Amino acid sequence: MNERVEKLSAMAAQLRRDVVNAVYYAKDGHPGPCMSAADLVAVLYFDLLRLRPEDPAWNERDRFILSKGHACPLWYAALARRGYFPPVELKTLRSLGSRLQGHPDLKKTPGVDANSGSLGHGLSQACGLALAARKRGSDSLNVVITGDGELNEGIVWEAAMAIAKLKLTNLIAIVDNNGMQSGGKVEQVSGLYPLREKWEAFGWYVVELDGHDIGQLLPVLERAFIRGRATREQRQGMSLLPEHLELELETTAGTPHPDQPVVVIARTLKGKGVPYMEGDNSWHKRVPTDEEHQIALSILGGQDLE
Amino acid sequence: MQGLEALAEQDERIMLVCADSLKAMRADPFLEKFPDRVVELGIAEQNAAGVSAGLALGGLIPYFATYAGFITMRACEQIRTFIAYPKLDVKLVGINGGLAAGEREGVSHQFFEDLAILRSIPNLTILVPADAGQARQAAIAAAEIPGPVYIRLGSGRDPVIFDDKQPFVPGKIHLLEQRGNDLVFFCNGLMIPRVLVASAMLAAKGIACTVAEVHTLKPLDTEGVTELLIDCGAAVTAEDHNIIGGLGSAIMECAAEHCPVPVSRIGLRDVFPGSGHPEALLDFYGMSVNDMVDAAITTINRKPNPYPNEE
Repeated sequence: MNERVEKLSAMAAQLRRDVVNAVYYAKDGHPGPCMSAADLVAVLYFDLLRLRPEDPAWNERDRFILSKGHACPLWYAALARRGYFPPVELKTLRSLGSRLQGHPDLKKTPGVDANSGSLGHGLSQACGLALAARKRGSDSLNVVITGDGELNEGIVWEAAMAIAKLKLTNLIAIVDNNGMQSGGKVEQVSGLYPLREKWEAFGWYVVELDGHDIGQLLPVLERAFIRGRATREQRQGMSLLPEHLELELETTAGTPHPDQPVVVIARTLKGKGVPYMEGDNSWHKRVPTDEEHQIALSILGGQDLE
Repeated sequence: MQGLEALAEQDERIMLVCADSLKAMRADPFLEKFPDRVVELGIAEQNAAGVSAGLALGGLIPYFATYAGFITMRACEQIRTFIAYPKLDVKLVGINGGLAAGEREGVSHQFFEDLAILRSIPNLTILVPADAGQARQAAIAAAEIPGPVYIRLGSGRDPVIFDDKQPFVPGKIHLLEQRGNDLVFFCNGLMIPRVLVASAMLAAKGIACTVAEVHTLKPLDTEGVTELLIDCGAAVTAEDHNIIGGLGSAIMECAAEHCPVPVSRIGLRDVFPGSGHPEALLDFYGMSVNDMVDAAITTINRKPNPYPNEE
């Protein structure tokens, strides 16, 4: 496990570097919201998701949707490092003719399974994908990362209601709870909190954890993946906290009901990993200067885009 | 719904997505026959459109069916960005389209903007069948059309206009009557029987018209429309929709670009209507047979004099 955690930490730093580079070369984009989700995306794309980058249309792949589509430089970085296209292509972000659109476009970017960008739509699409997987008897999973700001949208709760009603245990929702939205702190802009209780009231089982501690993220999400592919009988009484790790996390009481969908609320920090971006919401959408670019690269390490 | 049942029997991928609209769609027989092919999502149209996108991404062909306005207005953005933009195989079925179908329910259930809204979204095909038989054929045809299709339906109590032997060919105008070339009527949906009466009344006055059904509003059969405009030199459009953005606009755009002849529009004249009996509503809001006759005569009189220099 430790080796996996180390490898994923290094990859998360690489993805952060790629985001800084992509936004720097594009002279446009949203770096802050990418940084808070980088550890989550690293764990998913470089350990848990079942994918065939050489065959993006492979039907038995897991589907991933980045519902907070403005963080797509992070998604593109993960796809590039996973082999869907060359990392150097990240330099074309947002430019005319590029496959890497300002917000995700499934027709243009290999590996992108759903459009996003207009907020709040990941769960609805994942709901349809999960129904389709169930209908064809596939154990492929459907994983969504949503922002916390986008949980302001009513459609999210329409989807949450439907997913619980339809007992879609082959869908895993992850909230990148960085506490900030475009206009400021989530609690100041909207009435989102208390968040765990909202999900529970909609019929979901909630696990709250530190979204930057891969030592927590990996074992819990791994459990969620195993549960997502398990039979109903196997899900009976299955905990999301591996016993041997003695993780003390806040969760819904007891173990999930075998028909209950699971949401992981990952507490994160906007801008995480680049000190001058951390907690500074001006980096929601901002381009690093030459100097800021160099500082970020020296802190993050890793490889450049070539 | 009979069309959808026939389709579902042949194609495993066909799904019905509802927003507490099973009853309104009279889809109980479908539910009985194919219980695992119905996705009921409750009164939540935005989510239903998003789920339909997901089903299509998962290789299925969902028909999302509910009231026309709740699909096209409440879920407009979901249709645009998540269905039309990625050109997914989602078929949208809107009932209560138009003033007559909404009738006594009042404005909240009278949808006279749906076609204008959807016509401005790329990648969408828009079908406006006129009666139950055409609706059945349109539902079947939609499965063959790649990408998203919107099928606009009435109340389900609409009179039978066509016998089932008449083929429904999407993309082409459908010539209903060719008495002569004084003027051409372009019409669809519930307006067809009224236009046919108007055409007969005009014939009695010695004015010989052509009547064409435009059941495929988008893509418009520009060639077919232009040919008739050239032949007749004047046109009246008739639709149960706001005169802005629907059939009238589509024909005027075509005329302005390809054959600028006088065109008049019959439809709801950009006002909010009231409740009432469907026939009374159409009469009161400018869609009566007499309105059509008057519009035809006025429009013919606007044809340019071919010999302007002679007194």
